[in-house]
Amino acid sequence: MSIDALLTQIEGTGASHWIAKANHLFMAGLQVVHVIGFILLLASLLLISLRLLGLVFTSQAIPQVARGTTRLLWLGLALAVISGAIMFIGAPKHYFYNPAFGTKMLLLAVSVIVQATLFARVALSEEPHPVLARVGVGLALAFWFAVSLAGRAIGFV
Amino acid sequence: MSALLELANDIESTQIGTAIAESRYAFPIIEGVHLVALSISVGLIFLTDLRLIGVLLRHVPVIDVLRHLRLYVLGGFLVVFVTGGLLFWAEAVAVVESPATPFKFAFILLAGLNATYFELVVAKRPEIAASRGTLPLSARFAGYASLSLWTLVIIFGRLIAYVPHWS
Repeated sequence: MSIDALLTQIEGTGASHWIAKANHLFMAGLQVVHVIGFILLLASLLLISLRLLGLVFTSQAIPQVARGTTRLLWLGLALAVISGAIMFIGAPKHYFYNPAFGTKMLLLAVSVIVQATLFARVALSEEPHPVLARVGVGLALAFWFAVSLAGRAIGFV
Repeated sequence: MSALLELANDIESTQIGTAIAESRYAFPIIEGVHLVALSISVGLIFLTDLRLIGVLLRHVPVIDVLRHLRLYVLGGFLVVFVTGGLLFWAEAVAVVESPATPFKFAFILLAGLNATYFELVVAKRPEIAASRGTLPLSARFAGYASLSLWTLVIIFGRLIAYVPHWS
């Protein structure tokens, strides 16, 4: 099945119709959940990054700071993805064929990979290699902030 | 109310106000920066609140949480207010006309008062400095209040565009 055919199928579902016709405030609510999700994600990322760079809570071991905060990071991502998925289902072709959306999804995939591999590795070590830590922080921050910029562009492209 | 509306119209009709509103990129970029900056400021406040209610970073003394993050919270807020001011400059009438606006700013004020009271009064108490185990009720209350108030700010901020008029 081609992607366009798949999108047409999604568009035809009851769920898609319901979301597309839903009250404006439902959309606003989804966006609020999306915002809160990425706030939790970005703030958690920032906090662990600041610790990895030795700028905050230096009397605490890195994994101690990172552990609970990492869970919050993934929770934030989950909220953003779920609210985002619902928004997508309501207008699949509108989003899929928007270049900013495609860019955002690509950046999202890279961000998740960086987060789950390199960043996780340095955040869970007591004494990560300083260069690795800085590269991990730099890449994670760059890609996650790029995701939010691309997300912002969706409404304007 | 009509005088306020006239003032808002004058503000948005200025060169800068018009330039931002009519520019293809200025408004979305400024709004994007507004959201990123509030991810930093409000986000770090959320983390601080989660520390106060005892679900996150329990090993970090409360004083360290407040002190080490202060720079980023305040820096973030500075950017939030500057970008917010620019957004208002471009869309003053819409902001003044929306019923959501007074609620948003009322909750910002309450959140600010809650934070100020916490920092100046509650945080100075010796039990907070000791930071062992569950914090006293005053600290937990401040945490819950802050979480609720900032969430309401986000909700009403989003509603400004969705509820443009009172009737």
